[in-house]
Amino acid sequence: MPVVNVPCPFCGCLCDDIELMVHDGRIKSNRNGCAISKTKFLRHADDRLVGPSLRHSSGHELVSLATAVDHAARILSASKRPLVYGLSSTENDAHREAYRIAELVRGVVDNTSSVCHGPSILGTQDAGEPIGSLGEVRLRADLVVYWGSNPQVSHPRHLNRYTRPIGEFASKRTIWVVDVRRTVSAEAADAFYQIQPGHDLEVMSVLRALLRGHKLDCTEVGGLSIGQLQQMAESMRAAEYGVLFYGLGLTQSWGRHHNVDAAIRLVQELNEYAKWSMVPMRGHFNVAGANRTLTWTTGYPFAVDFSRGYPRYQPGEYTAVDLLQRGEVDALLNVAADPLASLPAAAVRHLRRIPVINLDPKRNLTSLIAEVNIPTAMAGIECDGVAVRMDGLPLYLRKVVEPPAGVLPDREVLRMIYDRMVSMR
Amino acid sequence: MSRSLLLQNCRVYDPLHHIDGEIMDIPIRDGKIVDSVPESASRIDLSGLTVMAGGVDIHTHILGSKLNTARAMCPEDHRADPVAATKKTRSGVGFTLPSSFVTGYRYSTMGYTTVTEPAVPPVKALDCWEELHDLTNVDIAMLPMLGNNMITFDFVQQEDLPGLAAYVSWILHSTGGLGVKVVNPGGTYAWAHGKNVRELDTEIPDWRITPRMILTSLCQAVEMLGLPHPLHFHPNNLGKVGNVETTIAQLESLKHIRGHNGRKHIVHLAHISFDALGMVEGGRPEWKDVHSGGLQLAEYANANDHFTVDLGQITFGPATTMTGDGPFQFSLYELTHSKWANMTVDVELPGGAGIVPYTYDPKSPTNAVQWAVSMEYALNIRDIWRCALSTDHPNAGPFTKYPLVLSWLMSKRQRDRWLTEMHPSVGQRSTVAESDREWSLYEVAIATRAAPAVILGLQATKGHLGVGADADIAVYDLRPDDIQRDPDRIVRAFSSAHLTVLGGRVVVKRGEVASTPHGRVWSSSPQVEESLHRRVVGEVRERFSRWYAHSFDNYAVPVRYRAAFETPMATPSVAES
Ligand code: SF4
Ligand SMILES: [Zn+2]
Repeated sequence: MPVVNVPCPFCGCLCDDIELMVHDGRIKSNRNGCAISKTKFLRHADDRLVGPSLRHSSGHELVSLATAVDHAARILSASKRPLVYGLSSTENDAHREAYRIAELVRGVVDNTSSVCHGPSILGTQDAGEPIGSLGEVRLRADLVVYWGSNPQVSHPRHLNRYTRPIGEFASKRTIWVVDVRRTVSAEAADAFYQIQPGHDLEVMSVLRALLRGHKLDCTEVGGLSIGQLQQMAESMRAAEYGVLFYGLGLTQSWGRHHNVDAAIRLVQELNEYAKWSMVPMRGHFNVAGANRTLTWTTGYPFAVDFSRGYPRYQPGEYTAVDLLQRGEVDALLNVAADPLASLPAAAVRHLRRIPVINLDPKRNLTSLIAEVNIPTAMAGIECDGVAVRMDGLPLYLRKVVEPPAGVLPDREVLRMIYDRMVSMR
Repeated sequence: MSRSLLLQNCRVYDPLHHIDGEIMDIPIRDGKIVDSVPESASRIDLSGLTVMAGGVDIHTHILGSKLNTARAMCPEDHRADPVAATKKTRSGVGFTLPSSFVTGYRYSTMGYTTVTEPAVPPVKALDCWEELHDLTNVDIAMLPMLGNNMITFDFVQQEDLPGLAAYVSWILHSTGGLGVKVVNPGGTYAWAHGKNVRELDTEIPDWRITPRMILTSLCQAVEMLGLPHPLHFHPNNLGKVGNVETTIAQLESLKHIRGHNGRKHIVHLAHISFDALGMVEGGRPEWKDVHSGGLQLAEYANANDHFTVDLGQITFGPATTMTGDGPFQFSLYELTHSKWANMTVDVELPGGAGIVPYTYDPKSPTNAVQWAVSMEYALNIRDIWRCALSTDHPNAGPFTKYPLVLSWLMSKRQRDRWLTEMHPSVGQRSTVAESDREWSLYEVAIATRAAPAVILGLQATKGHLGVGADADIAVYDLRPDDIQRDPDRIVRAFSSAHLTVLGGRVVVKRGEVASTPHGRVWSSSPQVEESLHRRVVGEVRERFSRWYAHSFDNYAVPVRYRAAFETPMATPSVAES
């Protein structure tokens, strides 16, 4: 008997139509998943951390879970400014436990959104955001725009599952890609607009100006002719239901949150003429959940400091990269992320100098340098929980197989660390 | 072992038992109010203090995706009110959008023990269930929104009332809701086309149905099922000058519906300060011509008893507006050019909910009149049982302003004080200044606990202090004699309960949170006949594959998130036809 309608815990699409064949506690096949999804499920047992371990001068030594937890609790308790980081590839209950620890030690919490869609959130804080839903896009959109996003690579089923099938409330649909290079997604779209790198903000602003009927005394902006831009603006205005999907090409290029701000203003203004929404192409399967859990707990979606006993928020100050680059933190509790592989060199340099407690199912660059490694169950395969899709839909993740013997979910390990710290006080 | 407690020498206000300031003892055992407790019970002497059942809030936005979107979008709001952790409590933020923990603590501190989240998009109910794990100190009820749902529309269009009722029951079962909310029926759907629908008999886009049909069908379905709480209604044409006329027309359209088991009230009209806007004689539906419609609605209410209301009282100062009424929120954005978020929720709220921060200014001519709308209603309604206190938190102001609202209702002196600071339009366009009425403590106890408990259908165990009630109790340091002379005392006393008891446990002492137990979540999903249920689930499944972008199997909130707290209410089962 296959296990059906399993959400795929890999990217922000959270496709929940995965069909798995499970035999003898092993996943044998994955139907409906993309290539990434197949790898995630079928190879979930590869490259695992073998057991809790502590690092010595000669390498990592396997220890009992209790010893690892105790050591982690000691590091955190002794730390003056610990950072709790990651969280976007685990389920929501793990987040809640992590925040409890951060509050107890008066540390800082940041999730990986500070290095991906953090600027989207800043844009939202400036302007708000008309947020779309994937269901409604499929059902109603007649114009879909991917801006600075290459879904065919980063979210392989996004087009086929959510934007290509035309639901019964739309009669036609056009898909555009706006990007700095002709990607495979551009090939798959109905139209491609190539803009010069670093010119997203200008192009957005010009589109707004044209929508408002302003005349511009130039012939070309950001690599597009005024004629092309005029045509784009007109199509956008003529759409009945438009949706803008935007990716890291917009949020992490020159202008960052200003780009997103401009995109939001553009979509807001388009609502004067037609129905328009936007959806950030969230990467990790639960980065949206990390923002949401932190928000209901503290009011803020990332970059939260508890040093005064209450939450304070300051991107650029309490964001992981900035804290590490300034050499400000003296311990790291890393949950379900690989900062060594993903953060800039200056931040990584500091990471190598401080004790790192690493919770992850798999070996990675961070586990190589971590002082404490604790293997955990893989959320959505070996333990249940909730994750949040890119459009804000919460989905219940399944436990389809048992984790390796003795391996617990993140939330349980975090709870043990918390309890140990309380008992040490 | 039973845990017993005796509250002694309480001055009790318990309108469900007609008790108006009698001195009595309240025995508590195992979380319930009982006849008597053994000698060994611990005792608390409350001589001189005012004792009521725990407060019950019928309409407050405390959970869910749009609240979280608002929180994430408004860091400036939280910065004004950081809340530090204590030995007993978690940290967070307050102001107009308190974080989850702080929401529970602050309600508890005001003596509230039950709160209702009135706008749950069913497909995102799991959001709410997750969050409420971090919202302690109060019992909770949730109302899923069904007035713009395409599956609702389908049943309405086919005039399949039993099907609709079975669908409602299935939704409540899947989400753990207590009752049904309707927001701008059909109008929010039209927003998916960038439009609104303001009139009862205007056909909505894509369908051959009207707001009248949606509204009456859902109201009938609720009564067929015998849900404890009648239809919870946010009307069409919200926030439009002169809309008291359309609101009354909508209430009229429901008048013929027979209540379950002979109950009189078949609809609850939410937040009237947004629904009962009048217009000056010969005026146009523009803000410059706004007039209070509160008196007109009160007169209608005094003559027609099929509905109840909550006030949605404007409180002045910062607020964050958030409703499932997408087009209304967009019009507010056009007015303010502040931040604007809109959130589409596919099949259930095409067009979507909206969020716009807003500050009510007493010097603004329109805000001052809007303040008067619900005041005027509250001061002119004969039957307070049909009038629950709310600020539609955080739409008209945060729930932490309830004590201020009570001081306005209880003290003419307080109203006069505020009126002198308001724009003079309030004197010309409302009768608030002329009213001498002052609510008594007995009336306060009605509007803040007894009435909302009855309207929610929770009166068996909530809203009173009789034997068998849940031991949810609020004690205030307030004496009846000095109230009118000292409005500030009213505000102080209701802001900071002397004692709050939840399910028999002391949760607040002298205004400080003393413990943080989790409350229960009240739900209701009457069973329908098996064959009807099977038919309807089959139809829903089929529509699901056409309209949703995720799987039917992943729709219901898993038991794992509900088991610890959900308390289903016993309700009658319902047969086909
Ligand atoms: S697109 Fe993303 S969520 Fe969907 S199957 Fe592929 S990796 Fe999984
Ligand atoms: Zn409301």
